Amino acid sequence: MPVEVILPKVDMDMESGTIEAWHVKEGDHVRQGDTIFEIGTNKAVMEVEAPATGAIRRIRTETGVAITVGTPVAWIYLEGEASDTPVADSSPARESAPAPNSAAPADALPARSVSSTAPASAGLRATPLARRIARLNGLDLMTIKGSGPRGRISESDVSSALTLRDAAKNAAADTSVVKVPLPRGEMAAQGTLKPFSAIRRIVASRLSESMRTAPHFYLTSEIEMGAARDLLRRLSTRHERLSLPKPSLTVLIARIVAGVLRDHPLINASAEGEATRLHERIDIGIAMEREGDLVVPVLRNAGGMDMLTMTSEFARLREGVAKRSLTPAELGGGSFTISNLGMYGVDSFTAIINPPQSAILAIGRTVDKPVGRDGQIVLRPMASFTLSSDHRIVDGVTAARFMADLREALEYPEVLL
Amino acid sequence: MRSELIEPPVQLRELTYAEAAREALAQAMEADERVFLFGEDVGVYGGAFGVSGDLVHRFGKDRVIDTPISELGIAGAAVGAAITGMRPVLEIQFSDFVTLAMEQLVNQAAKIHFMFGGKASVPMVVRLPGGSGTGAAAQHSQSLEAWFAHVPGLKVLQPSTPHDAKGMLLAAIDDPNPVLIFEHKLLYKTKGHVPEEAYRVPIGQAAIRREGTDITIVGSSIMALKAQAAAARLAEEGISAEVIDLRSIRPIDFTTIAESVRKTHRLMVVYEGVKTMGIGAEISAMIAESEVFDFLDAPIIRLGGADAPIPYNPVLEKAAVPQEDDIVAAAQNLIRRGEA
Repeated sequence: MPVEVILPKVDMDMESGTIEAWHVKEGDHVRQGDTIFEIGTNKAVMEVEAPATGAIRRIRTETGVAITVGTPVAWIYLEGEASDTPVADSSPARESAPAPNSAAPADALPARSVSSTAPASAGLRATPLARRIARLNGLDLMTIKGSGPRGRISESDVSSALTLRDAAKNAAADTSVVKVPLPRGEMAAQGTLKPFSAIRRIVASRLSESMRTAPHFYLTSEIEMGAARDLLRRLSTRHERLSLPKPSLTVLIARIVAGVLRDHPLINASAEGEATRLHERIDIGIAMEREGDLVVPVLRNAGGMDMLTMTSEFARLREGVAKRSLTPAELGGGSFTISNLGMYGVDSFTAIINPPQSAILAIGRTVDKPVGRDGQIVLRPMASFTLSSDHRIVDGVTAARFMADLREALEYPEVLL
Repeated sequence: MRSELIEPPVQLRELTYAEAAREALAQAMEADERVFLFGEDVGVYGGAFGVSGDLVHRFGKDRVIDTPISELGIAGAAVGAAITGMRPVLEIQFSDFVTLAMEQLVNQAAKIHFMFGGKASVPMVVRLPGGSGTGAAAQHSQSLEAWFAHVPGLKVLQPSTPHDAKGMLLAAIDDPNPVLIFEHKLLYKTKGHVPEEAYRVPIGQAAIRREGTDITIVGSSIMALKAQAAAARLAEEGISAEVIDLRSIRPIDFTTIAESVRKTHRLMVVYEGVKTMGIGAEISAMIAESEVFDFLDAPIIRLGGADAPIPYNPVLEKAAVPQEDDIVAAAQNLIRRGEA
């Protein structure tokens, strides 16, 4: 598969550069290491080497024009590849998140950039329903990997690709990571340059977008956790008796949040253009970490789950995250997210909203703190809960009411019965 | 706590399939003196499968007639009686014997109304015990409904429950067209709720026996029952099957099937008749050539009888037709792997 030649980042703060001159022309045979063009930054002009051996084609010939770092400016077609061999598409439709770091793109299957109305090529197997959904959503079947017999694409494959495409809509254009040879001359970067993995790229762009477009505001409540702890203890005993995994505080909070969200539809909503999507179901995403990456599996229909179901489902999701066995559908599409950093000793924090949701709840650690009760200072287990809300959808009072109900439900869980 | 009024449990009136059919015949004969029953051993013997029972004692030998062993003759007699104003209900002792009556049923009964420009009609009902599972071997175990579903001018029914056995038989007797009812032998002893009054189950209407979202399973006669049992097992592993009891083979309730497949995206047809060229083939094609085609997410699967005469050996006899295990396995495969 053709190797991309991208505009490299040769300077620490470089966001774009210009091609000053090409040393090769369309169709020339180049060897790895040969100088193929000169890149200009605001500091200097440097030579860029070919990352592979082959015929260089589709050269982006404009010189002196600012090009974003990472943009492909040419392709090197390896031996045996015809000039119309498809090249990597900018959409990561072929990869299923979470993708392994940087190794994936080399294996990413090529995508033809044909219009979605073009007839399927001979040999492409797809069910009528898959074709229909792809057609309605402008997805190219050639970019989708089929999981059915003989590579047949079915509706679930198309849906997964759709979820991925929507999730990565704002991802940076370049998904392939080709080893960029350092330009000759000065500027050997210090330390190691670790290009973004596919996940990191997605997380980076989504959360940047979230901060950019959603006006965040934050409400913090210090909530007394005595009742919740007692409840957790009793539930643990019950689960143990039933030989089931014991619930964690996060699961209990998720269950309680699900109950409270029923009365606060705007907190369980999503931004859609200039409208608010009110969700019928309560699907709670739980922020988790795997090898330094943020992963948010979703407890689907948390509003309809009892503690037993939710505990086992949470355990299943956590195992799925660790084993990388969850499907994209299980990793996206929640209506609300909670993030608990209490176990790391964090007292409180503000979380960035998981777009396009309208809010996210950040949970700090439970610590015995002195509080005033009936004119006395007593020690109570307190935890800090911070709700980040999107002010386009949620106003201060709306958020405050939710937090008030959350406090009541955590301090007196029986109100949810 | 609000107190609720608890109704005393309704007394369900349970009859066997055979008793339900008998009740339909009795009620039809009481209501309409043109209705009469005839066939081999329906009178004194009470019917080879006990359906007519004591009807001869209640209605007399003029209305419950024991015939000679001559399917061609009695089918012809039924046609004649029907055209001249009676409402005969003919019992063919084993559906396999219908071969001897084909001329009268296919060339005469089915076509007379058309060939006489509507001047005559043939309001006759033929009841045919069929199907395998009783060790009756190749010539007494067939499911031949597909043959007749292929003949314009006939109606073909397969009630699967006692409730439908009565309601569809009464509807058939009301119908001015020749109607064939294939009753599965193994269903005669099954029990179910049967209302006392004379009610009709509309011809040409399928019944959704179980709602589901992952796959539509269409079955007729005893296969509708096996499909329901299979669906219950599939539900335990998270597969939600919608089960449609065809009830009417000609005409087929295509709308109900299409709406279901549109929703579930997968179709399996289960029938006891030989799979090749059977009713499953027709239903599969109807769906594939309809606008529901665009909503299929998997190949259409047929489970039907083997391409072999029904064996005598009980193990082989069972293996020759779809069983509940086969339905479960096929549905699992279709959903998990995209093929049967």
